[in-house]
Amino acid sequence: MATTESQLDDQQPDAEGGSADEEFEARVGWRYTLKKVKRDATARIGLYIVAFVIFIAAFAAIDSNLSRLTFGALSDYTAAQALPFFDHPTRIPPPGEGNPNQPPMFLDGGTLSQPLGTDPQGRDYFTRIVYGSQVSVSVGLAATAIGLIGGTIIGSIAGYYGGWVDDVLMRSVETVYAIPPLVLIIVFTVFVSGGSPDIQYAVIGVGIAFIPVFARIIRSRVLSVREMDYIEAARAAGVKDRNIIRRHVIPNSFAPVMVYATLQIGVTILIVAGLSFLGYGAQPPTPDWGEMLRIAHGRYMHSNIWLSIWPGLAILVTIMGFNLFGDGLQDALDPRIKN
Amino acid sequence: MGLLRYTIYRLIQAIPVLIGISVITFVLANLAPGDPVRLMLQGQQADEELIRTIEQRYGLDQPLHVRYWNYMTGLVQGDLGYSIHRDRPVADLMLERTGPTLLLVLSAYLFAILTAIPLGVIAAKRRNEPTDHISRIVALIGVSTPSFWIGIMLIIVFAVKLGVLPSAGLVYPWQPPEAAGHGSYLEHWSETIRHLILPMIALGTLQMATLMRVERTQMIESLQEEYVKLARAYGVPERTILRKHAFRSAQLPIITIIGLNLSTALGGAVLVETVFAINGIGRLFIEAIQQLDYQLIMGITMVLGFMFVIGVVITDISYAYIDPRVTYGERD
Repeated sequence: MATTESQLDDQQPDAEGGSADEEFEARVGWRYTLKKVKRDATARIGLYIVAFVIFIAAFAAIDSNLSRLTFGALSDYTAAQALPFFDHPTRIPPPGEGNPNQPPMFLDGGTLSQPLGTDPQGRDYFTRIVYGSQVSVSVGLAATAIGLIGGTIIGSIAGYYGGWVDDVLMRSVETVYAIPPLVLIIVFTVFVSGGSPDIQYAVIGVGIAFIPVFARIIRSRVLSVREMDYIEAARAAGVKDRNIIRRHVIPNSFAPVMVYATLQIGVTILIVAGLSFLGYGAQPPTPDWGEMLRIAHGRYMHSNIWLSIWPGLAILVTIMGFNLFGDGLQDALDPRIKN
Repeated sequence: MGLLRYTIYRLIQAIPVLIGISVITFVLANLAPGDPVRLMLQGQQADEELIRTIEQRYGLDQPLHVRYWNYMTGLVQGDLGYSIHRDRPVADLMLERTGPTLLLVLSAYLFAILTAIPLGVIAAKRRNEPTDHISRIVALIGVSTPSFWIGIMLIIVFAVKLGVLPSAGLVYPWQPPEAAGHGSYLEHWSETIRHLILPMIALGTLQMATLMRVERTQMIESLQEEYVKLARAYGVPERTILRKHAFRSAQLPIITIIGLNLSTALGGAVLVETVFAINGIGRLFIEAIQQLDYQLIMGITMVLGFMFVIGVVITDISYAYIDPRVTYGERD
């Protein structure tokens, strides 16, 4: 059995395959895609922004006092306090040593050591924005991964078997899709957490809410992949359906989904920011951009406008990075849309 | 299949999805640890006897499937349930709040369509010129910015700093002017518009950006069609080609996108209503969530889901009506 399967694997269109396969690979393969992305200016800018945000997020995790390191700012955060997934006993940070509501450095009363000023509790706003990247990036990736995995399983099964399996699965998925994502996620978060929402529930909720879109894309790809000769051959050789789906169908249907996933990370970050803004995502004192905007909008919109400006700009830049990169990937994969 | 039969067919097709929505909301609302009455009390101490009486009165002591059946039979008769928390029927509560949300969402769409279509057409016509680049950057920023942040920024600029537009609330045009303290309908309605401008832009920007991208791509494609080339060869003026030949066929996908984006717009309304303190369905939903008023939560979720499904059916039907090439009875 094992030998049959490995032999069949060799029949998949590889980069080293026959001439027809080579041509196929040249159009949809990863290497070709990457080459085109590198040539595409917008995709490159997107890639740089994404890399920058991820770098900051990773760097903040390694050195909890990034702000002190670069600007000499005072901050008492530790990585465990900042990371949403660690349930740290002392999650309430000690009060910062700066003045509350200090303006950013380019205004009167601002200092270089606190470039973006401080929040109403005297915490360095720059540090909090930096930590916010950690929350956003991890949340965006985790929720998209849940949607991707769930959607891949459901979509590939629905597409491969067809018939009533397809009908039942896709109808259920359409049902989830019909409820506005934000509403569905809030209901999920609140009820599953038993009335005390937090970011973990939000991530799972967002992931589930985005299973439908991934399932639909995967399914439409699987419908064409399952007609391929190598699937027929595997079936004739007696390979189990489960293994055909896992080893042949999914790997060959994946490319367009990856593009979509990149774009989806941006959407996920947008939704989670909205959730936190309403109070159903990250909870204080987690430095989440949406949560920071909630506090700014609630009480400080008139007295300290800068509290509202920075987190929004951070969200905008991050999401724009993922969108640019995703658009570039899409252009590379679908030359029809390209100018 | 005729148009009428297609309409009926699409409506019948929507039934399983509608039932599915009811199952999802029902299961979610009953997934919560502890029973709804205790959850509603939010940890407050209450008489056990009292809790049992409330449960019996609203049928909450019955098994889940019986409750679902009761709920569904009520729903078919137009009964959305009863909010124990507010001591009023859910349908009444929702009806009161529907107007502002509809006004907000429709005006946001109006704003999006009126800006996106001209900008998309111009961008397609002047492809790769500065105008095109600027409009693409605007679209990119539009899809990357949270609606509630746009709202906050608009409030800061136009209400806090310039003080020219109101930052909160809505003036309902269907009310008599006296109720809002206005002398005439003219004053009343101009106040309505003044209150509507900022939330409309906040909610409409994402839709505008999405529609603009689609419009641009569609126009570029339809400008390359054979019949456009033919019209050009015949010496038809470029303006006429744009308006009569290319434009019309490019609008069909726009209708689909509008229908599919309805779900995002309704979700966005929750955020924008919160930012601008508008008493619509979105805020009612947030209030219900805060009070863990689960009958009301279920009612709202269900109605929003229904609205989306019906919206998609309407777009499908109008699509079939506008485009004679659409064969009735084919899915997607």
